[in-house]
Amino acid sequence: MAIIQGRARKTEAGIFTASMADIVFLLIVFFVLTYNVEVDHTQVQLPKTWVRTDIPKHAAFVSIDKNGLIRVSTGKEMSLPVGSDEEVVTFASNVVAANPNKEFVLKADKETKYEYVDKVLDALKQAKAKVIFLLSEQKTVEDTQ
Amino acid sequence: MRINKKTIESEIFTGSMADVSFLLIIYFMVTSVFSATRGLDFQLPEDNTNTPEIKREDSIDIHVMAGDVIKVDGKQMSIDQILPYIADKLKQNPDKPVILRTDPDATYNDMIQVFDLLRQAPDKIGMEIKTISIPTQREIQNVWALFGMQ
Repeated sequence: MAIIQGRARKTEAGIFTASMADIVFLLIVFFVLTYNVEVDHTQVQLPKTWVRTDIPKHAAFVSIDKNGLIRVSTGKEMSLPVGSDEEVVTFASNVVAANPNKEFVLKADKETKYEYVDKVLDALKQAKAKVIFLLSEQKTVEDTQ
Repeated sequence: MRINKKTIESEIFTGSMADVSFLLIIYFMVTSVFSATRGLDFQLPEDNTNTPEIKREDSIDIHVMAGDVIKVDGKQMSIDQILPYIADKLKQNPDKPVILRTDPDATYNDMIQVFDLLRQAPDKIGMEIKTISIPTQREIQNVWALFGMQ
């Protein structure tokens, strides 16, 4: 039997990477579109509610943690702690003076004593805020069982 | 003498593009958050001196106390009994406002559960509560002071 002699064809093993750039750019576009800066990082356990409406972007934030520590943000920069109720009134008044229709978001821990929430609501009322959103998580059937 | 011209092809160096893209992806993945962006909206009354003051006897008074105790017009009720009671009152007067008072010792969750329930009125009893008022302690004390009460 004749031995077939010839040049062996070399096949190099490789990973096809031509579409990687497309995938990477698609991911970048996704992240750019959905990018949302969280202005307040206060760790809270939000109350759960059935009724929930969308909060407008760049609304001013007031957060209250379990121990009653209050932090405020205009919605554009990171939240800062405030020392007294009067400071909340001053902050909210400045926000309302700049934009009378500015919405406020109240982010409070569900175990927070209502006393602290009451003081913040009072401060926002004094500052003539128009709409307050009480931040919550979606309630489900499992929560009621 | 004839000189051979070297032709240099112009091109954009794209070798580092993948690195830059991956760095951008990592940055967005680390800094982006999927935070809660929904909640219960609460319209505050307009600053209008002509707005009539709501009297307790003309309204439905819900008093939320610590330890899941809820009193509606002075009668203790469970959370499931509130909407049927309000439905009876609204049948007599559809404009009847609801005042939601919460004790300072109660938790925020105690108050928000009742507020959430009141907002569900159109779905559960087929009637809308047109005015839900949440007075603060200062406002309550001001009203009491007005009537010479402590």
